Amino acid sequence: MKKSLFRLPDMFELSIAYIFCFSLNLLLDYAKTLDLDAFILKAFLKNFIDYQPLIVSLFTFIVIVFHYQMLEKKKAEIFCRILVGGTVSKITIRYMLDCITVLISAYLLSAFVNFHFGFNLANNFYLVLIFVIYILISARRVRKYENP
Amino acid sequence: MKILKFIVSKIFLRKAILGIGIILLLLMANYITFTAARSILSTFQGYQETKYVNQEGVYIANLDPDSHIDMGMIGENGTQTVYDYMNSSFKYAFYTDGFIVSVPNGDDMEISLGYMNEQYYRLNGFELSQGTDLYFDYQLDREIPVLIGKGLSKTYPVGATIEMEESVLGRPLTLKVQGVLKQNAYHSNYYALNSKTYYNFSILFPVNEEFIDRASMDIQFNGLMDIILLDTSEEEIASLSEVIKDNLGLRFNFFSQKENYDYFSEYYFHSLKIIFITTFILLIVITCLSVWNALVSVRLMLKDFTINLLVGLSYSKLKRIFYGYFGMLSFVNVALISIFTAFNRYGCWLRKDATFVTYGLFGLIGMDWLALLLVVVSDIAIGIIVVESMLWKIKKVPISLGVLQ
Repeated sequence: MKKSLFRLPDMFELSIAYIFCFSLNLLLDYAKTLDLDAFILKAFLKNFIDYQPLIVSLFTFIVIVFHYQMLEKKKAEIFCRILVGGTVSKITIRYMLDCITVLISAYLLSAFVNFHFGFNLANNFYLVLIFVIYILISARRVRKYENP
Repeated sequence: MKILKFIVSKIFLRKAILGIGIILLLLMANYITFTAARSILSTFQGYQETKYVNQEGVYIANLDPDSHIDMGMIGENGTQTVYDYMNSSFKYAFYTDGFIVSVPNGDDMEISLGYMNEQYYRLNGFELSQGTDLYFDYQLDREIPVLIGKGLSKTYPVGATIEMEESVLGRPLTLKVQGVLKQNAYHSNYYALNSKTYYNFSILFPVNEEFIDRASMDIQFNGLMDIILLDTSEEEIASLSEVIKDNLGLRFNFFSQKENYDYFSEYYFHSLKIIFITTFILLIVITCLSVWNALVSVRLMLKDFTINLLVGLSYSKLKRIFYGYFGMLSFVNVALISIFTAFNRYGCWLRKDATFVTYGLFGLIGMDWLALLLVVVSDIAIGIIVVESMLWKIKKVPISLGVLQ
């Protein structure tokens, strides 16, 4: 944690972003299982359930925003770390590991809720793949801040 | 305008990811608002249309869900006896639809046929764009006056005749166009008021006692399912129930005015309340995310803003620029929602889905425009919250400190 680019509020923000996306997916999965009598509610929910992957994927953009602002905010810190002997590769690896730790924690939490409601554990897994891609893309940006 | 262009191109677009973030969040907010608004408006329209059932002495027939249909027991004699009994003892509104036929027309659509008696016609008060009112005392062996939807009026103007090879009477019929319904005239389902079928490619038949007597059993039986009995009492309804049970072996429920009122009030009020609360919660969540996105933008663009403030840009001008920028993003989103909806409506034309095709400006009907208006209102509310949060954040940081960042 000492050498990490992440501070506690950053960790918290990233967790919230991940949990929000997982929860949204879970909520729509739950909506599918509801046995509603009211046609009007069924018709209303259908507008969201039909486009579930698209809606959830669009919301994952908040994670992109987080990664973008996080690295923009930390560019001076990255440069200073390199100045005092840190290497870009180590900073990048630490950044990726921190992100993946938060991601795994959020995924395990969502998997537990999935398990509790009896949903398929793989339902949320496509989000993990999306987030890993985001982490890999954002990690490439660390190199950009090698020079001020 | 020049300064707005400068700030947008030199500050906001340099960090386009944050702008895209706001656009996507707004898109979600708009889609949710639009969907909820349309659900509520559509239900309200259905409620207005079927308001006449909420009157003293009105009962709607409804097959009991637990009653088993034994088609072997249902014969033409049975249904005819029920209609004879109703003709002698009741005033009733008859309506049935969903009979699809092929009638040549310019748009190559399958045509939906609807049958109604005079009571139903009077209760609904169909509005015509051309032609005159239907009459019900026609001779079956002559031309039958009908109402048609706007889509058919190009091929069959008022006074034209339509030849039908097959009909529920089991012989060819000649129809005469008596009137053209207003565009997007619709019929709502009694038990799902937000669900509508549009009459743009429909033919509405006037039905009299003779017509029902000679019609096939299908139309007689389907007509019974939603028959509306007027100016009657519970005792009379109970005896009709017995007649139906004895002749068709089916148990029908007849909802009274009070039961209908309770049903519609409780069922719809409850559903609409859930939709409203869900939408409200989702909008709050999206607004919070938008504010977070906006504050992140301010944090990353603070230096640019404060430099501009230092060289003479006032806070009030900055506020106008922010509102202008947010207005542009909202406009993009409203346009996207409109295109998506128009495309969905156009899909019905491509699928030749006669009961759902509609006409409207840019492919959108009145209900869509009203829902878009509500979307604009919600965008204004979100815009005020987001822009004021951004300004609050900027004002919190002294200009000198902002420039140093």
